[in-house]
Amino acid sequence: MIGPDVVPQGSAVVPPAFDPRRHRPVIVRLFLAAFALLGVPGEAALAQIPANVVCDKCHADQEFLVGKADSPAEEAALHVPTDIFLGTSHDTVACVECHQGYGDSYPHGIEVTSIACESCHEEAGVDWAQSTHAANLEDADDAPDCMECHGIHVVYDSDNRVSPTHPLNAVAQCADCHTDSTIIATYYDEPDDSLARVAVEHFWEGAHGRGLSKAGLVSSATCSSCHHPHRVLPADSANSTLHRDNVIATCGECHLGVLETYMPSAHGVALVDSVETDEGDPAPVCTDCHVRHQVENPRQESWHLSVVEECGTCHQSLYDSYRGTYHGKVSQLGYGRTARCSDCHTAHGVRALDDTLSSVHPINLVATCSQCHAKASEKFVEYYSHGDFTNREDYPILFWAWVFMTTLLVGTFGFFGTHSAMWFVRTLVERSSPPAVETQEKEQ
Amino acid sequence: MKTPVASSDRGQGPYLRRFSNLDRGLHLAVIISFFGLVMTGIPLHFSHTRWAQAIMRLHGGADSSGFIHRVCAIITFGYFFTHIGSVFVRAARSDNWKSFFWGPNSMVPQPKDVRDIFQMFKWFFGKGPPPQFDRFSYFEKFDYWAVFWGVAIIGGSGLLLWFPEFFASFLPGWSFNLATIIHGDEALLALGFIFTIHFFNGQLRPEKFPVDVVIFTGRARAEYMKEEHPLEYERAEREGRLAELEVPAPGRALYLWSVIAGMSLVALGFSLVVIIILTALFAH
Repeated sequence: MIGPDVVPQGSAVVPPAFDPRRHRPVIVRLFLAAFALLGVPGEAALAQIPANVVCDKCHADQEFLVGKADSPAEEAALHVPTDIFLGTSHDTVACVECHQGYGDSYPHGIEVTSIACESCHEEAGVDWAQSTHAANLEDADDAPDCMECHGIHVVYDSDNRVSPTHPLNAVAQCADCHTDSTIIATYYDEPDDSLARVAVEHFWEGAHGRGLSKAGLVSSATCSSCHHPHRVLPADSANSTLHRDNVIATCGECHLGVLETYMPSAHGVALVDSVETDEGDPAPVCTDCHVRHQVENPRQESWHLSVVEECGTCHQSLYDSYRGTYHGKVSQLGYGRTARCSDCHTAHGVRALDDTLSSVHPINLVATCSQCHAKASEKFVEYYSHGDFTNREDYPILFWAWVFMTTLLVGTFGFFGTHSAMWFVRTLVERSSPPAVETQEKEQ
Repeated sequence: MKTPVASSDRGQGPYLRRFSNLDRGLHLAVIISFFGLVMTGIPLHFSHTRWAQAIMRLHGGADSSGFIHRVCAIITFGYFFTHIGSVFVRAARSDNWKSFFWGPNSMVPQPKDVRDIFQMFKWFFGKGPPPQFDRFSYFEKFDYWAVFWGVAIIGGSGLLLWFPEFFASFLPGWSFNLATIIHGDEALLALGFIFTIHFFNGQLRPEKFPVDVVIFTGRARAEYMKEEHPLEYERAEREGRLAELEVPAPGRALYLWSVIAGMSLVALGFSLVVIIILTALFAH
């Protein structure tokens, strides 16, 4: 499988948008004030803030912790020297900001509790609470909470290269569970073909995945770019960023230029106005053509050819007439060096025929056809791109030409078919009859 | 001696020349270009089928398919004009140029051809003997003129589609729609005709089965000529030209290759017709 070449590098800490300093308990503020008075440079020494110095007395001392918990693993978990916070997003957060419930004195008892992350990260908490992850965590205890993805004490911002949520690391982070057979088996009948597993494989083959793995683009979309980092939901859920009603905005966040072209297009207008086809099909959104996960590079021929079928699901008669033309036949045979729907109608800015901004409006046709037929002229573009010889009303010339050719075909085969068949039968008859009789017949 | 597999080489008598080397060569050019055109063109007509897609892949895709199609088109125009030129050159050199355009040696339909058709159908119904043909039977003449019609119609419409930008300087764009229909349907007629009727007349009918290589070797035994073209044989006999027509038997390699080519082309053409008929019946 294709995967990112993740090499953790030195990090540059960028201040988070959320400032935990504004949420510090009074006691911490007092300590900080005291330090400030003593002239100790604030930020650099924050890991050494008195509250943490106090904690370090025990929690930095591995030997001291022996026997203080039920198992070696739990003992190891208690070992949290505060210097590990240096350079992390929480390096200005004191232990007591997250861990509370031990009263005023220490050594404290085992009743210490951790406060929820959302008490600071409010929005993320609200989003996560609505997610499938939250529901599954409660039901099956096998979905991630904050720490599962972000780490426990060592937490970095996503734009930090060493963060597990950095774009170049994030997909592997999601894949950890989403390719885990045991977890998948809980939710899918056929674990090997499950959407979750296939999604990861397809992602790396798609344009976004290759953007990450081949081009090394941190701006390339990862799982969380589309699925929302915290409010992860199935696409059919109204709250999902990938729901039909929301996906345009989700993709448009990066593909702004496409969004701007799409919105005033016939499809965009139909979407906004909730116009449906006679069969009840809604206007197409991004994911109708750009298939989930395997978002292929539009230059990829196979994808471009398959989109023609997609257009045909609503535009059936135009699809059929296109398939009757040379353009349509070459593309149907699997070759892309011919006009497909989007070559003439544009991909995202499809407009009605009578819209002067449409690429296929008569005033723009020469320019549109010239993309391939360099010397296309006014006369040249009189070509019926959707000419249908079975349509007598709209294309009488084509219809009668077809009638003439069919008559010629039927006539020729009718005459010579009969001719050959009778000849064949006659020869067999002659051969089976005695030569004497034949001679007699001839003589008569 | 074993009976030769090719009907043109069966029976008694010396070998007589029937086709000139030029005509043999031109017919070979027709075969090569026609099969090239058919194999690269027919997938477009049946683009919705897997077999058409497989044939395209075999050619190396749409681009190379188009290239082969155009090369074969050039060969087609080449043999077409070479033949017309050769007719006039041969007529000019001949003592009797009129015989090229009228009479028993001419390709031009004669009143006798019409009578022959009626005679043929009478024979089909057992109401008389089969017609006696001269140098060219009416069905051979039909095949000949069908090529003229075909090259003009398919070739003309093909040129339109080959150079659309040029032709659009004086023709409306919808002429390409028209050309597409005519080109495709006429091609279907041509291949259907060649692969069934022409092959039946030339090779598959009981008298000739399984193969007739006279067009490849250019010669046939006297007995074959007496059966297939009795009037021509009698004429030659009467005019004392038989000795002049006499040629040695075809070389072994020429004969073998002719048999192989004849039978393979019939098999290939016939298979294609079967596939097309099955497609028309079940895949539309």
